[in-house]
Amino acid sequence: MRLWITGIGIVSPLAVGARATMDRLLAGERAFAPLTLFDTAGCRSRVAAEVHALRVADVAPRGAAAAWSRTDAMAALAAREALGEAGVSAHDGPLDLVVGGTTAGMLETESDLAELWRNPGTWRPTERMLSHPLSATADALASVLGPFRRVRTVCSACSSGANALILAAAWLRSGRSERVLAGAADGLCRLTFTGFSALGAMSPEPCRPFDLHRDGLSLGEGAAFALLETEASARARGAEPLCELAGWAARAEAHHITNPEPSGRTAAEVLRAALARAGLAPSQVGYLNAHGTATRLNDTMEAAAIGQAFGPAVAELRVSSSKGQIGHTLGAAGALEAAIAALALHRSAVPPTMGLHEVDPECALRHVFAAEPLALDAVMSSSFGFGGSDTALVLCRPGLAPAPARLPPSRVLVSAAATVGPEGVLGTAGGAVYLVPVAGSAPAGAAPAVPPAPARLAFEARDHLDVERARRVDRTGRLAIAAAVQALRDGGLGPLGQEVARSVGAVAGGAFGTIDACCAFVQKFLEKGARFASPAEFPNLVPSSPVAHTSIYAGLGGMVISSHDLAATAESALATAVELLEAGEGAAFLAGSVEEASVAIEDALAPMFAPELPSDVATGRGRRSEGAALLLLESEAALAARGGVGVAEVVASLAWRGTPDAPLSELPPPPGARAAVVTGRYDALGAAMLERSAWRAAPRHEVAPRVGWHEAAGGMALAAAVGALAAGRWDSVLVVGLGRARGYAFVLEARAPAAAGPRPEPLPGDAR
Amino acid sequence: MQALREQLKELIVKELNLEGKSPGDIDDDAPLFGAGLGLDSLDALQLAMAVEERFGVPIPEGEAARAVFASVNALAAHVAAARAAAPGG
Repeated sequence: MRLWITGIGIVSPLAVGARATMDRLLAGERAFAPLTLFDTAGCRSRVAAEVHALRVADVAPRGAAAAWSRTDAMAALAAREALGEAGVSAHDGPLDLVVGGTTAGMLETESDLAELWRNPGTWRPTERMLSHPLSATADALASVLGPFRRVRTVCSACSSGANALILAAAWLRSGRSERVLAGAADGLCRLTFTGFSALGAMSPEPCRPFDLHRDGLSLGEGAAFALLETEASARARGAEPLCELAGWAARAEAHHITNPEPSGRTAAEVLRAALARAGLAPSQVGYLNAHGTATRLNDTMEAAAIGQAFGPAVAELRVSSSKGQIGHTLGAAGALEAAIAALALHRSAVPPTMGLHEVDPECALRHVFAAEPLALDAVMSSSFGFGGSDTALVLCRPGLAPAPARLPPSRVLVSAAATVGPEGVLGTAGGAVYLVPVAGSAPAGAAPAVPPAPARLAFEARDHLDVERARRVDRTGRLAIAAAVQALRDGGLGPLGQEVARSVGAVAGGAFGTIDACCAFVQKFLEKGARFASPAEFPNLVPSSPVAHTSIYAGLGGMVISSHDLAATAESALATAVELLEAGEGAAFLAGSVEEASVAIEDALAPMFAPELPSDVATGRGRRSEGAALLLLESEAALAARGGVGVAEVVASLAWRGTPDAPLSELPPPPGARAAVVTGRYDALGAAMLERSAWRAAPRHEVAPRVGWHEAAGGMALAAAVGALAAGRWDSVLVVGLGRARGYAFVLEARAPAAAGPRPEPLPGDAR
Repeated sequence: MQALREQLKELIVKELNLEGKSPGDIDDDAPLFGAGLGLDSLDALQLAMAVEERFGVPIPEGEAARAVFASVNALAAHVAAARAAAPGG
């Protein structure tokens, strides 16, 4: 089964439109100029590559512009172009969507964040805040180009866009999708501009990738989307391919939050693995669009990696970095630069590295100083993100690479689960404690009285992890690490540092990222000046920072990304991990979510995105809290290879948009009587959907009253379900997670035969 | 000067989140980066920002920063000299 790209759309600082952007790249134009979007006083640079011809009101639906960010508008323009080029619309059959990014509506909401931090009591919600969550861009796209069926928002800092394409490829390879619109968008904002300045990573002049005198990056902004489909889908509608997506690989360095591994070891591994995946030899690749940020550390590391991966073939490999023309577009870069590589292949012309005059001897490669006509069979693009998230993609002439066999989807097993919640740090069996209901919310007279979750947990990091090693990690990251360490240990993958952890990846996030840290960072630089922005805190503001820190702490070397979907964030992460594993991407993933107790969320964001939620303990249903929950998922083959059987199997993993009945009503009934439904936060919609499903008779349990009404509650529900299956309480569990017009459902079945020991006492409601 | 050294040590522990350490654990002459406290380039950036914020004394960039960050003594000497040279200081 081959994967074709049949349409590409680009919004870049050089032009709106893929063809015009490529024309200008090949002409050697550079988009750098003094920044006009905001004041850059106190930063190391005033220069950036800005998208000027952008009017949000021209792109957003009438009346919705106030809730749209520039990022959303760039994404919509690029996505519309990709669909138009491919000749596809959402009404031609199921169309799925993956969006990568890091900042979403940060520019539009920065002053709100500062005010919210300064005066939480008097701040009033603004429509702008709707553009803040990372998932807002996918929702904006759905409003103008949808409906989409399966939608996902992912982040891995500066490799986000490339990893969005990998998830799309996984969906196509496993047969979940026929067509996927995949790409990324990221707009310039004060937070990233100030942050890179504080890191000393920003050049005062337009950047000079691979140059001996390079002194840092220049920031840019933009968006790129590709329409990916199976060859069969494209042929059926008579569509021509631009190129084939033939290979990909993503791994984590597990080295340092901002600095790359000097040896380039992991970067070389992903280049080699992507080529192996494509079944191509290094000599078949004519051009590599490099990450090439123009920082001292990146370019030397990358040149070493390219040399290691390509061997003697490096002599003929043309290498260039588009960042010398359009700057570093951060979360969009992986998609934008893959799109540029695809167009280079299609047009038989290699774009140059502008700004490169005197090659650093440590970056000796076949650099392209001016655009070069060249017939190409295959090209590559590489992307490296904060925390050491390395990704490489291989694109080729359709039919060049051997057609990959269509493999049956791998079975996905749960080998452990861990939670950090009101009851402390708990392992696999412990999670079931959250099924014991709070007095008042349980069927009459059934439950012991258990207090609702506290607003902030009594979690002391020093009791659970080495705080010296984790000294750069904020509370969110520490909650995630504590859960990860527990899950790995429970799953038999400890002690830490074992080589086996190198095969584990992670997918986890928070609905609103690390919002409090963002508020504090923005408020400080707005009040005290950009000079006093904290370089050490800046990396913690990236939505993927909790998983990145977890990867570094625990030595996880698989694909490490975050997934975000409002109240269903944990469920979106689990679905992503299941989809990657079933498609053969990786051996194991930690998947779930983490939420910090946050004034900004409690007072501002949660009421906007889920106004029906109770905000007060007086309702008797608990209140916002914090927590982390991670499941350890493994492919059946990987688990069997190390002699494990697992606790449960994920026999169904569903994701949908809108409020259809179909996903749940089409589920087969539970295989036996010992079945239950578990949910994080229960609502009327979910209840109605369940009533129309074959699971209507199963008892229902809700964990939010015990764990708090936070966005990680869905992860706690999943962990509680795994705990109950491990204890032999049930044979199968349906976990349902709903957010604003989005839903996920999983059926977990106990793996081991029911334990011979005494059965656990039934929970209130089980007799139903 | 002793008071300044103590203030700097407190700043180092707080800004770099050296949770297992107290200011008294930091030797006046020991190197701050590399072998000494095991600090790296990101810590250097954070410390430079924090010193400027707290004492109003900028830390030079590049090679010159190396000498200033050689030890608590060197850092204290830099801060004291800059303050003495400041107008009205």
